[in-house]
Amino acid sequence: MARSNEVNLNECKMVVPLNTWVLISNFKLAYNLLRRPDGTFNRHLAEFLDRKVPANANLVDGVFSFDVLIDRGTSLLSRIYRPATAEEPQPNIAELEKPVTAEVVPVIIFFHGGSFAHSSANSAIYDTLCRRLVSLCKAVVVSVNYRRAPENRYPCAYDDGWTALKWVNSRPWLQSQKDSKVHIYLAGDSSGGNIAHHVALRAIESGIDVLGSILLNPMFGGQERTESEKRLDGKYFVTLRDRDWYWRAYLPEGEDRDHPACNPFGPNGRSLEGIKFPKSLVVVAGLDLIQDWQLAYVEGLKKAGQEVKLLYMEQATIGFYLLPNNHHFHTVMDEISKFVSSDC
Amino acid sequence: MVLYDSATLGGSCSGSSSSSSSSKPPPLQQRQQTQQDIDGLLAGAGYRVRSSELRKVAQRLERLETAMVNSPADLSQLASDTIHYNPSDLASWVDSLLSEFTQPPTCPSEFIMDPETNQTVVSDAWTTAEPHMPQVHQNISYEQQSLNNQLTVVTAMEEDSGIRLVHMLMTCAECVQRGDFSLATSCLEDMQGLLTRVNTVCGIGKVAGHFIDALSRRIFQGIGGGTINGGSAYENEILYHHFYEACPYLKFAHFTANQAILEAFDGHDCVHVVDFNLMHGLQWPALIQALALRPGGPPLLRLTGIGPPSPDGRDSLREIGLRLAELARSVNVRFAFRGVAASRLEDVKPWMLQVNPKESVAVNSIMQLHRLLGSDLNRNSPIETVLSWIRSLNPKIMTVVEQEANHNQPGFLDRFTEALHYYSTMFDSLEACTVQPHKALAEIYIQREIANVVSCEGSARVERHEPLSKWRTRLSGAGFRPLHLGSNAYKQASMLLTLFSAEGYSVEENDGCLTLGWHSRPLIAASAWQAVSDGTADFPA
Repeated sequence: MARSNEVNLNECKMVVPLNTWVLISNFKLAYNLLRRPDGTFNRHLAEFLDRKVPANANLVDGVFSFDVLIDRGTSLLSRIYRPATAEEPQPNIAELEKPVTAEVVPVIIFFHGGSFAHSSANSAIYDTLCRRLVSLCKAVVVSVNYRRAPENRYPCAYDDGWTALKWVNSRPWLQSQKDSKVHIYLAGDSSGGNIAHHVALRAIESGIDVLGSILLNPMFGGQERTESEKRLDGKYFVTLRDRDWYWRAYLPEGEDRDHPACNPFGPNGRSLEGIKFPKSLVVVAGLDLIQDWQLAYVEGLKKAGQEVKLLYMEQATIGFYLLPNNHHFHTVMDEISKFVSSDC
Repeated sequence: MVLYDSATLGGSCSGSSSSSSSSKPPPLQQRQQTQQDIDGLLAGAGYRVRSSELRKVAQRLERLETAMVNSPADLSQLASDTIHYNPSDLASWVDSLLSEFTQPPTCPSEFIMDPETNQTVVSDAWTTAEPHMPQVHQNISYEQQSLNNQLTVVTAMEEDSGIRLVHMLMTCAECVQRGDFSLATSCLEDMQGLLTRVNTVCGIGKVAGHFIDALSRRIFQGIGGGTINGGSAYENEILYHHFYEACPYLKFAHFTANQAILEAFDGHDCVHVVDFNLMHGLQWPALIQALALRPGGPPLLRLTGIGPPSPDGRDSLREIGLRLAELARSVNVRFAFRGVAASRLEDVKPWMLQVNPKESVAVNSIMQLHRLLGSDLNRNSPIETVLSWIRSLNPKIMTVVEQEANHNQPGFLDRFTEALHYYSTMFDSLEACTVQPHKALAEIYIQREIANVVSCEGSARVERHEPLSKWRTRLSGAGFRPLHLGSNAYKQASMLLTLFSAEGYSVEENDGCLTLGWHSRPLIAASAWQAVSDGTADFPA
């Protein structure tokens, strides 16, 4: 029986470190203030409260970053993160877009989370995460500042992801020396994971090669109420009500959660059988109430004969990958690093 | 963002407080000491919480959640009417929200029954970190990043000729720094040639010409030579006015400062605004009107406007004062104006302002304080002198707006690089303005700033912009504490931008201050301050 009205705080306290609990609870409470019952969103307050950081073309811990306006029409910004190389310990300001020098350089196009409504590419939590990915994978990371709901509904986020993919694919300076091609991976957490899936779909249709997709706690759903949703509603920072709110904010008005954006293998989904879909690494947190949908996604890929690896982190909650203070974090980071380097 | 809190001064971060000498961050140990108690992981997420307070903050968050669940009416009020301040200081943000609830909530989960004694005890259910956690290398938090040289670039350019131009600009600047003027000169010639083949519509190409001119001026005049652009005060005022119209930076400065001043003057009947640079008095009609509409009626408003003396015998300050007085009369605000003519802000003495001890004073500085940062070894630095007499006026509020840039670094190449990116971003934003002659003249206004940053030295170089992090250290060292600008000011600024300006501008909250920038690069920072009331500066001068 859903207990979304009861505040049951003790259980999530037991499974996360104190600072993680403070961080995620802070988000939870702030987000409660931002979602209005009528479906509108307090964007001004959201931007005021969001902690942002500027890009920094000077090296910090071996990584530098800069922002690029990749589409003026939609004001689509992306933040590019690059590692310092042995040849160039301190990047020259004139050479931010100097060609990558290694034989193979993975380029990870990253879509931040936030349930389609929250956060930005320059949110502190995501800036930190992207920097970690650069160091971990010796990759260039392109973090896309996609348009958010409810002001911009489906398919804006996917359109922006697609624009970013085309832009990355056509940058000569991102081509690996080995084959003069850009070695592209798509990655994202929460709504970003959902976006990664849909951008991968578009890539196939257009012939752009995506080497792999990394989905961290990807946001999927459906009309049906699954067992995990009922069992975990309200227990670990997330409620069904808020999930429903975000889908209503993102999906076209009048559509339900069996829309293929939300439920890609549901009644309105399409089969991926016979399609050359990129290999996927899907991370599911065992205390995430939408895990049944995430596991169904993995099953859907398997049934279609697609290569997919599932990492089920039993005691992990949402957001476990934001702070490096738990073993799930390290396990997942190791797997991501292996996933991205296996093409060398 | 400098890591300090108002109770303890960032004494160990003050390497650059009063002189513009050091651009290097303080040594690592000093930074770590200052930040020892702050949770490093939360800092990386943008929140400043003392490790020793984590548990307390967690308990408050719990209480807040219970309160929100138990009274949804209060929740919606919290969401719409409450003004939020300084979200980075998580403890005080949570406390301020808690105080909005009508009843202090009880929180059952905080207390559990101890099964042995049957006493209620405070539950301490949080797990501690797993004992065999691998040592995590805590990456330098972004706050430390800002203590390092922060260099923000938006829209790197891609055309080959653009890249070559930047290369050459950097090479030329480096030659200048080294004193190799013959090589610098030949660079200049190459660049002038290249400029004819570069896309000068946007980004670096657009500003490159101005930087080439400025470098040329520097090389051929000799370092330290050259006047401040030779523009008359009259010309400067005209250019300023067009800059005001062409883009939102000055409007943002004015209405953010006005909002803060209005709030500070709430409940006061005799108020006195000291404007450090009157110009055409563009900022004041809005404040006069807002005061006129104040519930309870307007106060008596005195305005003291500081500005350069008029060369031709006109008293331009007085003329502006008269126009403002007419406006005030038309809305029934008792108003008195006084002009103080001074070529430099440091020539102003507090007695000239004739501040009455009974009135509430607001000191308003829109892009003026940085002009005081040139150091003069023979006497007290002008900035210290001025901040000291401001403090002696005991103002209710001091509003400070400054360019958010690091253009006062001692190394020429560093300064040049920073300016190249700052002004190319600003020029980019100007592209959105299509109205002439505002746009063309605004560009000249900016070009003069560029020329000053690049080609002047010593007392002639007045455009000594420093970023918020440095101003915070400097102002708290001089005995001021921040007054935080809240979500209401943020919302107003954002809404006005949406209404009146092109897409691409963004307002951000930064530790109680607001910045306006183009895309993700803040360009202007607005902050508000109050003198610390104990009468002595916390940091020895």
